[in-house]
Order: sequence, then C-alpha cells, then structure tokens
Amino acid sequence: MKLIKKQIPLAIVFFFGVLTLASYYVPHKVSVDFMEMMNKWENIVSAFAFFLGLISLFYSHYHKISRKADGWGYSLFVYIGFFAMVVPAILCHGKLMGAAGQTALGWSFSFMYNPLSATMFAVLAFYIVSTAYRSFRIKSLQAFVLFMAAFLLILGKVPLGQIIWDSVLGWTGAGVDQVIEWIMGVPAVAGKRGIMIGIAIGAIVTSFKIIFGIERQYMGKD
Amino acid sequence: MIKNKFGFALILLVFAATNAFSALSGQNKKQIPAELPPVTDLAVIDMPYDVGGTALLKWNVRPTDTTDVIYKIYVSSMETGGWIKADEFPADARTGKDIDLPFWAWEVSAHEHAVKVELNNFYGEAQATGALFHFKVTAVKNNISCDSQVVSAKTVSNWFRLDRVNNLVLLIVIIIIFFWAVSHAKRKGLFIRRIAGLDAIDEAIGRATEMGKPIYYVPGIGGMSSISTIASAFILGEVSKKVAQYDSQIKVPHYDPIVMTVCKEVVKQAFLEAGRPDSYREDINQFISQDQFSYAASVDGMISREKPAAVFFMGYFMAESLLMAEVGATTGAIQIAGTDSEGQLPFFFTACDYTLIGEELYAAGAYLSKEPMLLSALKVQDFGKLLVMVSVFFGIILVVIGAKLHWDPFVQGILNLFKAY
Repeated sequence: MKLIKKQIPLAIVFFFGVLTLASYYVPHKVSVDFMEMMNKWENIVSAFAFFLGLISLFYSHYHKISRKADGWGYSLFVYIGFFAMVVPAILCHGKLMGAAGQTALGWSFSFMYNPLSATMFAVLAFYIVSTAYRSFRIKSLQAFVLFMAAFLLILGKVPLGQIIWDSVLGWTGAGVDQVIEWIMGVPAVAGKRGIMIGIAIGAIVTSFKIIFGIERQYMGKD
Repeated sequence: MIKNKFGFALILLVFAATNAFSALSGQNKKQIPAELPPVTDLAVIDMPYDVGGTALLKWNVRPTDTTDVIYKIYVSSMETGGWIKADEFPADARTGKDIDLPFWAWEVSAHEHAVKVELNNFYGEAQATGALFHFKVTAVKNNISCDSQVVSAKTVSNWFRLDRVNNLVLLIVIIIIFFWAVSHAKRKGLFIRRIAGLDAIDEAIGRATEMGKPIYYVPGIGGMSSISTIASAFILGEVSKKVAQYDSQIKVPHYDPIVMTVCKEVVKQAFLEAGRPDSYREDINQFISQDQFSYAASVDGMISREKPAAVFFMGYFMAESLLMAEVGATTGAIQIAGTDSEGQLPFFFTACDYTLIGEELYAAGAYLSKEPMLLSALKVQDFGKLLVMVSVFFGIILVVIGAKLHWDPFVQGILNLFKAY
C-alpha cells in the first residue's frame, strides 16, 4: 500500500521533475516534443478538472438556494449567467459572427460579458484612490519617501505639474521628466530586481523540495 | 602671349599630375577594384546548441564590404535551381559579433560574416532538420552581382546548450548547498529568522475563532504549475490545520479547477491530521470562475456579505489583487497577503496588514510546519541570496576595473557570465 500511495507518486514526481529540468539544457527535438506532450496532458487534465469545478459550483449554489441561506438570491444569478452564455453558444455553434452579423453569442459577449467585465476593471480606479489615500498618510520616514516618490510621479504626468516644477524648481536644471526617469530607472528597478532575484532562488529551492521528495504535503502524511 | 600660353599649359599639367597622383594614392588606400569579386570562402555549418532547422553561413569580411554593397543569401533544397532568397543585408553588417552567444560557446570575430538562416521559415519544420540544403551568397553593387560557390549542409538537433553552462553551474552549486543544508538540518537543526507576516497567522485565526466569523483563503489566479500556487497550497494545509484545531471556519474560493481539486485534498488531510475529520465540509473549497473579473467580483461579494475576521491572499495575482484586498480592508478583516507577482506587491502593502514578499511566500509552508527538513530550504534560499550578492559585488568591481582599463573582451566576458541565454 505504501508503494502505491507514497513511493510510486514520488518516483513519478522525481522522474518528470528531472526531465523537465533537463529540457532547459537539452535543445534536442526529443526534449521539445516531450515538453509539448506534457502541455497537452495538462490541457486534457484541465478540461476534466473544469467539469469537476462546474459540479462544485452548481452544487454549492444549489444548496444555498435550497436552504434559503443568506444571499441565496445571488446564487440564482450564477445559473442565469451560466445559461445566458452557454445556451447561445450551443445554438450558434460557438460563433460570435454569422452571415447576418452578430450572433446571439456575439450579442451576449458584447452587451453582457464585456460591459460587466469592464465595470469591474473600472472599479479598480476608485480603489486605487482610496488605497493611495491610506498609504500616503505620512507616519514614518519610509512613508514620507513613498509619498514623495509618488507625488513626483503624479506631478510629472500632468502638464500643470510640469509648469509648477519649472517655475519653482526650474533653477535646478533638472526637468521633472528626468527626475521621474531616474526614480523609475534606478531605485524602483533596484528594488524590483532584488525581489526578483529572491523569487528566482525561492522558486528553484521550492522546486527541489518537490522534485527530491522533501516536500510531500500534497500527498498527505504517512 | 607665348609666355602666357606656356604658363597656362604648365598649370594644367601640374593640376592633371596632382589629380592623377591623388587618384592613385586613393586607390592604394581603399583598394577598391573596378569590379566586385565573388565570395570565395563561403562555409556553412549547423547552428550550434539549437533544436535544428537553422544553418549558419560564414565567410570573411572583405575590403570591398562597404555600405553600398548588398549581400543576398539564397537557399535551395534542390541540386539545381529552386533558389529562395532567405536574407539580404548591407555588407558592413552581420559579423560574428552579432551572434548572441557567450565566449565559451562561440568565437567572437568581427572579421567574419556570420548569418543565421532559419530554414523552418521556408521549408516547414518537418523538412528543415536532417535534409540537405544548398546555399549561396550573392554580392550586389550598382546592379552588378556576382554569386559565390554553392555550399551544402544538413542541420541537426543538438543535445546540449553549451551557452547555458553558467546557469548549470549555478544550479549545481545550489543543489550542493541544498543537500548540505538538508543533512545539516537532520543532524543539528537550523536557526531560522522570524517572518512577521507568518507569525500573525495564529493571531488572525484566533481572532476569527473569538469573533465566530469565517476566514477566507484566496489562492489567486495561478495554475497548479505555478510555484506560487504550489506554495499557497502548502500554506493552506498549515492554516487549515490550525482552523481545524481552533474549530473555526475557512472558505477557499477558487479560480482554477485543478487547484481546487488539489486544495480539497490538502484541506481534507489537514482536518484529518488535526483530529477533526468530522468538521471537514466539501464546500470549504469552492470553484468560482475562470474569468479574472468574475472571480474578483464574486470574492468581493462574499467578503462584503460575510465580513470575515481574516483574509489570506496567497498565490499569484494580477489586477484583481487590489479589487479584493481593498474590499477586505473596508470590512475590517486582518489581511495577510503573499505573492511573487512583483507588480501587485505595492497594492498588497497598502491594503493588507502583513505582506509576504516573493520568496517568503515559498518559505511560508516550511516555516509554519516547523519540520527541520523543510526549514532547511529557507537556509538554502538565504545562502542562494548571499551567493548572488557576492557574485554581483565582485562582478561590478571587475567590470568597473575592465571598463576603466579598456579591456573590452574582459568586460564582455564578465557580462557573459551573468547573462541568461
């Protein structure tokens, strides 16, 4: 039993992990084909997993409706939204445009899905304002540096800001656009690269933990 | 009058002689022949370190290679005829220096033309590797052209990327440190620095238990092949164990159905290990949507309605990060975030109470589990960063010295060592 539950899965992880790692150093067609095959398998597994996800979604919302749980009315919209897209997709054979112009599926995309999606994205702008207000309250030296950097960036992006800069700090000889370029190109990039180096090393080590079977949490305990 | 004619003739003679002399000396300097000679030393080889399908044409730079001379590269799969123009460029361009390979894998030469011909573009992938192809170079100047001799070669798939040896050496060094740290951890144990964001997890779960409100764990929009999602699944296991111990509630809304399937097993196992399998419910993990903003809208709705005591954002995030974190912040929940998506980190910094930066997310599962073997990985991460810092420090010094002394090949060599190919 231990062989099936532990050793064989670990051997599979090790085998495919090492092969995938080796494929980075082996440019041969065999290696390229192997990676393509892995990607195809991932897509196949994803397709099956999507059905599982759909069953989970319908199941949980069905229970909410049947138990009349708080906010059960919202669960109805899951079904309405699903059928509003899937039924036209089946009827139109998945085509957005037909001989007579936009199909029902195309209409659903253009006048239901896209506006809703764009609305969510647009909300982001308001959240950025509220989060910026919170983060720009100067409570420490670090907060002050953050505020100054952000203030200069905002200032340099509007014509009025450039005029103010030129009239107040024009004597320095440095334009606001040059200051912005320096902030974005030197301290911001330095910080970003530091984080990226840490991420890269962390990713390598995490991969080793999984490939060499040190991290086995995904398989459960003995 | 005669005297004047003689003087005029003398001036003309001097002028003509000067012109003739300057023309001769100019010819000696530039040595441009009256007609364009053909390329005589054309050679073709398989492009090294690639999957195949690319040939590399080489011939020496000639004195006649000026901007007004054009080289045209022709390729054919037939013995005679069937020529296809593969490339065209001015004669003063495309030398060995333009091939982007490091010094240990490629002899950089500015005295040699080196042109890659990607046969896949003309003959398809299946035919490009293994079949015999013929090549010729035509030099063109002022509508006069002359062909080189025809050379032939086959391209092959190569077995090793010699240009990535620097990467391989770094990998081997990290593997050695990794096994050293693991064996050291087994024998003696390791000191691990504190990570504030992870220490706050207990506090967040305790708060949720006291308030009788649920905990939301958002694993982001990454797939199961993303390292951050894998790390998130490990953290979920530890968080779920604590939730089960405290008899609190946890909800995990999912973007990816595969991640949901894995997380179901992780949570189930955590409840089992905590001795509370009866508390596990199938609807802890719930699939929401594979559309980014639908997912964000749904999670926002759930957080707004249920007002959880704690929200965890662990995994890969994009534009939805702020949409969800800001809604969580307005409900007053303790928020702990962790992502390796550096573009989203500022949003989490501003909207969450604690944020795990990049590699701290990967280390979190090990840190929470407190298992020595897993903790050793944190030590490897620290050693790796030290190695990079020392390399960068000495690299900078060497490059500065090389640049100051105008040792261009030396500087180029150092830069090659640090470059990814």
